[in-house]
Amino acid sequence: MDQGKRDARGTGRRQFLMTMAAAGAALTPTTLWAQVKAGADASAVKALAPSQRALLDRVADLTIPDSDTPGALAVGVPAFVTLALAHGLEGAGAPVPAARFTGGAAPDGATVLDWLTFELDLKTGGAFLSAAPAAQMRALTALDSAAYASGGPPGGDASPWRLLKGLIVTGYYTSEAGASQELQYDLVPGHWDPDVPVGPHARAWSNDWTAVDFG
Amino acid sequence: MSTEFDAIVVGSGITGGWAAKELTEKGLKVLMVERGRMIEHGSGYVTETLAPWEMPFRGEGDAALYARDFAVQSKNRHFTEFTQNHFVNDRDNPYSVAEGTEFNWWRGYQLGGRSLTWGRQSYRMSDYDFGANKKDGHGSDWPIRYADLAPWYDHVERFIGVSGQAEGVASLPDGVYQPPMALNVLERYAKGIIEQRWPDRRLTIGRTANLTQEKEGRSACQYRSICARGCSYGAYFSTQSSTLPAAQKTGNLTLVTDTVVERVDYDARTRRATGVSVLNVKTGERRRHTARIVFLNAGAFNTNHVLLRSRSDAFPAGLGNSSGLLGTHIMDHATTVGAVALFDRFQDRTTYGNRPTGIVIPRFRNLDRQEGDFLRGYSFQGGALRSTWTRAKREAGVGMDFKAAMRGPGGWRMVLVSFAESLPRPTNRLTLDPVKTDALGAPLLKIDFTHGENERKALADAGREASAMLTAAGGKVVLSLDRPGVGGSAIHEMGGAMMGDDPRASVTNRWNQLHDVPNVFVSDGAAMASSACQNPSLTYMALTARACDAAVRLLREAKI
Repeated sequence: MDQGKRDARGTGRRQFLMTMAAAGAALTPTTLWAQVKAGADASAVKALAPSQRALLDRVADLTIPDSDTPGALAVGVPAFVTLALAHGLEGAGAPVPAARFTGGAAPDGATVLDWLTFELDLKTGGAFLSAAPAAQMRALTALDSAAYASGGPPGGDASPWRLLKGLIVTGYYTSEAGASQELQYDLVPGHWDPDVPVGPHARAWSNDWTAVDFG
Repeated sequence: MSTEFDAIVVGSGITGGWAAKELTEKGLKVLMVERGRMIEHGSGYVTETLAPWEMPFRGEGDAALYARDFAVQSKNRHFTEFTQNHFVNDRDNPYSVAEGTEFNWWRGYQLGGRSLTWGRQSYRMSDYDFGANKKDGHGSDWPIRYADLAPWYDHVERFIGVSGQAEGVASLPDGVYQPPMALNVLERYAKGIIEQRWPDRRLTIGRTANLTQEKEGRSACQYRSICARGCSYGAYFSTQSSTLPAAQKTGNLTLVTDTVVERVDYDARTRRATGVSVLNVKTGERRRHTARIVFLNAGAFNTNHVLLRSRSDAFPAGLGNSSGLLGTHIMDHATTVGAVALFDRFQDRTTYGNRPTGIVIPRFRNLDRQEGDFLRGYSFQGGALRSTWTRAKREAGVGMDFKAAMRGPGGWRMVLVSFAESLPRPTNRLTLDPVKTDALGAPLLKIDFTHGENERKALADAGREASAMLTAAGGKVVLSLDRPGVGGSAIHEMGGAMMGDDPRASVTNRWNQLHDVPNVFVSDGAAMASSACQNPSLTYMALTARACDAAVRLLREAKI
């Protein structure tokens, strides 16, 4: 696996995409990729580009916002997702095939964040990061609904959003606040009760390892 | 002849610990040789109390590292960032498989071996199982029956502590149990429906080597269900929690770690083993240890490997292999997800604590009459649970409403995992790889194993029956599989040195001695002549305790 090389190619596309998005160009898959194919950045950069960091921050925040407990951005989920992407957790290292992109075209080695940038910009009809919060939420909700629609997209593979959302929720509910404030955490329950009532404000146990395995 | 020790025990896992305990308690001076590192009870369980947020990868682990160093081990459901230090590095510990086959050989090379990570399910075999080979002609007839092993099952259960419910089911004989862990509200309901609809079936709590009552310095279970990290409460049976302290208490045990047995040494003049040749993997030093008897408890496949490597003029195909059957008739269990169902009932009920065992539905097929188109049978293990946050990966939604919806417990589901008996076949076998070697130049163990048509038919029947039972209990079945997983997936690999009365048709005798070399005992899973469909470790322990008793008797009678 040549992680560095793939990231280098991705960086070029990312910059291009964000430039296009910022310029408010007419974003259709065809016009985007026609121009993407014109060239790629060969510089090897392993860290995420600032624009992709910003995108991850915003999407994490939209997915699990602050409420009476901290949300995904506040507990540092983007750092976990970045680590997870770099180390290929849950298959995150694999490139996203062109068929997963709306319009069916993408260069070899597109990353999940390339895909997310492209799709959200497309759904927003411009630069997702510059859009109003309500428009961002609409775009993300549309992306999420499509990813979890029964049957899924043709071609078999699940939407890359499922992978990213999986990493976001994993990062959140395994953080200290997510596990022990939003949910409940008790490493040593001490006894077993096979039948207890669910109260109106019940919180799930984040240390229910059995349910993590089979849940 | 004077020897350094009375007995050498190769391996410190579930059966090695038992051999060391039994032999030292009977007064023998014993050397126990473990190839892996030392892990002290308690202080050695370095991840035991850590929270996910204290782990670099939140408990999921470094996938890039796993792809490189743990390519096989990381496929194991129990392999996590918390437990990875209890599994071998695949890159450092290679094996080969026959072309066109796969085998997941899941191992732990450390003091305690897989006793640290085992599933703890503790079941007796019945005479349906001990009589199976004779009845249908597959494999070698077991030289023993249930009555021979029953007192040793008692002996083992009393010592290790098994919680469970006596049920009077003929296919799964009752044992000596601590009070059972309770079925949860949905399991109890499903039990009522299933047993009413199918009077020949029983749903009972898993019989597990987790204590429900304090026992000899070991605490009762704390309901964490993180056993495979190691349990400083000593609440489940492991070498460290149980057999090792017992053996050490006698003053008769010498323990060496980081020391791999390269061969069993054999004297053609006396026709006896003289001891073992070992390599200290830290210093590179090689030396010999001598003893009057040798117990091979290296784990079924590694015991085969040691014997196959112990070649001499007298035994050019491996020690104890005059029959040519050494390494043959290896087995696992054919396992898959019989059914998963979602339930609408009991949404206002949940559980407290993490019970470290599930439920079992003992074998009901092909007992006193042949049903269906396959031989022998299968059983189910599983349980009911409410899901937790991991469902957020699978469900649509983002934002405040999504966060709120994920806060409470998820819906109920019930899972039945099928375990079908693996027929003993001569073509499923272990050999020394003729070409590939390890870093030290020793031939790799080559595994040639495939599940057969009988296993596939059994799992197909199991899938139908699991679906029918969960549907009857009010569930909506969302998944039912009938193809077996890759060989090794049950982590019940066994056989290769099968027991039998006929030296031409088996490798070990009724006392677990090699037919050819009577002072070598094989009492781990290698000695199994058939697999039954229940978890085998309790049977390995009972066979070991019985073999130790026989060995000491034979020594005293000067017969070996």
